[in-house]
Amino acid sequence: MAAALAVFVVYTALAGNGVAQLTPSTVAGHSGTVTLVGAVVGPLKGNSYERGGLRFHLADIGSATPARVLVDYHGSVPDLFKVGRHIVVNGTMRNGVFVAQRGSLVTKCPSKYAPAKSSKT
Amino acid sequence: MAPLGRAALLLAFGLVAYALLAGSYAAWKRRRRLALSAQNALLAAFPATLVAAVILLVALGRRDMTFVYVWQHTSHKLPLGYALSAFWGGQEGSLLLWLLVLTGYAGLAVWLNRRSRELIAWTVPVFGLVAGFFAFMLSFVSSPFNVQPAPTDGQGMVPSLQNPYMLAHPPMLYLGYVGLTVPFAFAMGALLSGRTDERWIVATRRWTLAAWTFLGVGQLIGAHWAYVEIGWGGYYAWDPVENAALMPWLAATAFLHSVMIQEKRGMLKVWNMILVALAFNLSLFGTFLTRSGVIDSIHSFAKSSIGGWFLGFLALMVVLSVVLIRWRLPLLRTKTRLESLVSREATFLYNNLLLVALCLTILWGVLYPILSQAVRGETRSVSKPYYDFFLHTFGLPLLLLMGLGPLVAWRKASLRSLGKTFVAPFAAAVVTGVSLLALGFGSSWPGLLAYTFSAFVAASILLEFVRGCAAAGGMLRLIGRNRRRYGGYVVHAAVVLLAIGIAGSSAYQTQRERILKPGQSLEAAGYTLTYTGLKAVNGPNYTGFRALLDVRRGGSHVASLDPGENNYAIEGPANEASIYHDPRSIGDVFTTAQLVPKTNGSIDLKVFVKPLVNLIWIAGFVFVAGALIAMWPDAVEQRRLAARYAAGAAPAGI
Repeated sequence: MAAALAVFVVYTALAGNGVAQLTPSTVAGHSGTVTLVGAVVGPLKGNSYERGGLRFHLADIGSATPARVLVDYHGSVPDLFKVGRHIVVNGTMRNGVFVAQRGSLVTKCPSKYAPAKSSKT
Repeated sequence: MAPLGRAALLLAFGLVAYALLAGSYAAWKRRRRLALSAQNALLAAFPATLVAAVILLVALGRRDMTFVYVWQHTSHKLPLGYALSAFWGGQEGSLLLWLLVLTGYAGLAVWLNRRSRELIAWTVPVFGLVAGFFAFMLSFVSSPFNVQPAPTDGQGMVPSLQNPYMLAHPPMLYLGYVGLTVPFAFAMGALLSGRTDERWIVATRRWTLAAWTFLGVGQLIGAHWAYVEIGWGGYYAWDPVENAALMPWLAATAFLHSVMIQEKRGMLKVWNMILVALAFNLSLFGTFLTRSGVIDSIHSFAKSSIGGWFLGFLALMVVLSVVLIRWRLPLLRTKTRLESLVSREATFLYNNLLLVALCLTILWGVLYPILSQAVRGETRSVSKPYYDFFLHTFGLPLLLLMGLGPLVAWRKASLRSLGKTFVAPFAAAVVTGVSLLALGFGSSWPGLLAYTFSAFVAASILLEFVRGCAAAGGMLRLIGRNRRRYGGYVVHAAVVLLAIGIAGSSAYQTQRERILKPGQSLEAAGYTLTYTGLKAVNGPNYTGFRALLDVRRGGSHVASLDPGENNYAIEGPANEASIYHDPRSIGDVFTTAQLVPKTNGSIDLKVFVKPLVNLIWIAGFVFVAGALIAMWPDAVEQRRLAARYAAGAAPAGI
């Protein structure tokens, strides 16, 4: 057990620092690669195969604050990606735009216990 | 109907609260009739919960939109099977399923062990406590029987959940999660009653095995669902919600091994109590994780208010476990010591330490965002490299131990006997490793080691069966004589298949992605995929396209694939993967395709060639077969155990 714990401590000390997980309201001013989590707000512009990439805004999930960040994405678009979906994407802030790593976009699985939709039909 | 459902839940709450309070008093004061009454109350809680469950099922089947829960999770167009599966598709229904399974398990386990009166007297209140929490949540915090004026239609079910696996994956996990309550309740009952011998282990061995099997199969089904449905070419993402099911399974695996040491040698009593408490509390932790929203997951769970309740109950259960184990420490200490570091019990101990180490490192990874937020003020998360590192560090030695353990003698093994025993498995491992190295499999050392160790384990299992068959005079007689042991070996064979499948499909996977015009091709690991054209598709609630692919290997046509996309009117686009199962490699050619806008039919084709991936799913069947063999009633063992505990079966007092 001691040996196992030693391996664990060494790994977490040297290599297990992880990647910062940020929201649109906290990503400003961060350099280096981070994971950005947020809700897609429109409009969707361009497409992920053009030079300009797919561009959209992300907002904090479940927050009424106006904080938004513009995301520039290239590569395949995952299942169920659309305005309103919660996504996770890796990338770097450059000149106020979040430049996403190619193919790193993941749409959160709208699984069970998903929040109730906003209005009754 | 809703008032009746609410009344049934209130009745269930009253019954389990009575089982807790009256049962505790009866066990404390040794009142036999009151203890029996508490036991009967626990048994009656199941039919009361069943009434509530049937009412919810009927409402779901009828799409009765006056039930808020039905409106939230179904629609009139939703097929009946999926409408009924919405029972566990939402929070309140999941809690009700939990209570239903728990009261069913508790009633059956208590009834089957009713003769062990002193143990049962204290087990009933523990069941009452756990069931009481869920009944309280359903009655007063999160009811599935809230009503409203009926809207015209419901909100429906997310398309990715409209999959046959929705009918099997969640219930399997619940049967596993909840099943871990049975050994926990008996263990705590044993501590409270002071009956800390092996009786509680014997009483719950099959329950633990069943819960562990359900949890394992549930995870495999979930992995296959993710693999075929989501279109990312993987089956496990080390996501917190996935890890929530893996952690209790690992703890239960360690427990299933260490109880054998307690049964055979009377050792590891404290350790077994810790493991059973860990497995149960991790299953509660998993529920807390999915309901609290405190940790970010690719599964979009609501930040529900019941997370705090679960955290409080989890804290109570952890404190209860620690206090009881600490209190009964003198009773749990044994005089038997480990005689040698090279013995069967020592290898089981190493196996346990590695399983628990793997479990705790996964827990650390899951909690890392919360801890980093608390310490650094910034949420950071660990990802695949962290988990892969520990899977290799602890998983590979575990795989090797699976081959070593069963062949090492109890108490003490001599080097000479070890040399004789291991010569054949060692030779098989060396031949496999060297051959694979020569064939170019050295590109991934974890993969190479996994294959080499798998060969060692497979050879040792084969050796055990060959020797056993020679002695017993046939396979069926051999297994019939010792179902537990040989069932265990079959499960080990399943783990070997799983290890080979995981190593093959991850360490030796080939991934290609390219934008193709009609007529163009892409090469991947010896396969040539030619894009021949597009086809439009129309479904009841979607339109979409399929990219037609001609798949060739060595110039010969082997398959036609049609990956594409469905665009659901409400939910938006969803990838439709197309997979060729190659019988020669027991692997898959997994494809997804997306249309590239403004290009007149070009597609972005993504191809994963995953050798041996189908061994993972085959392993599931072997795993179930092994677990069933190990669980199957054994008359000889029953007689042996009955004789062993005959003297103390009905102690005085209770």
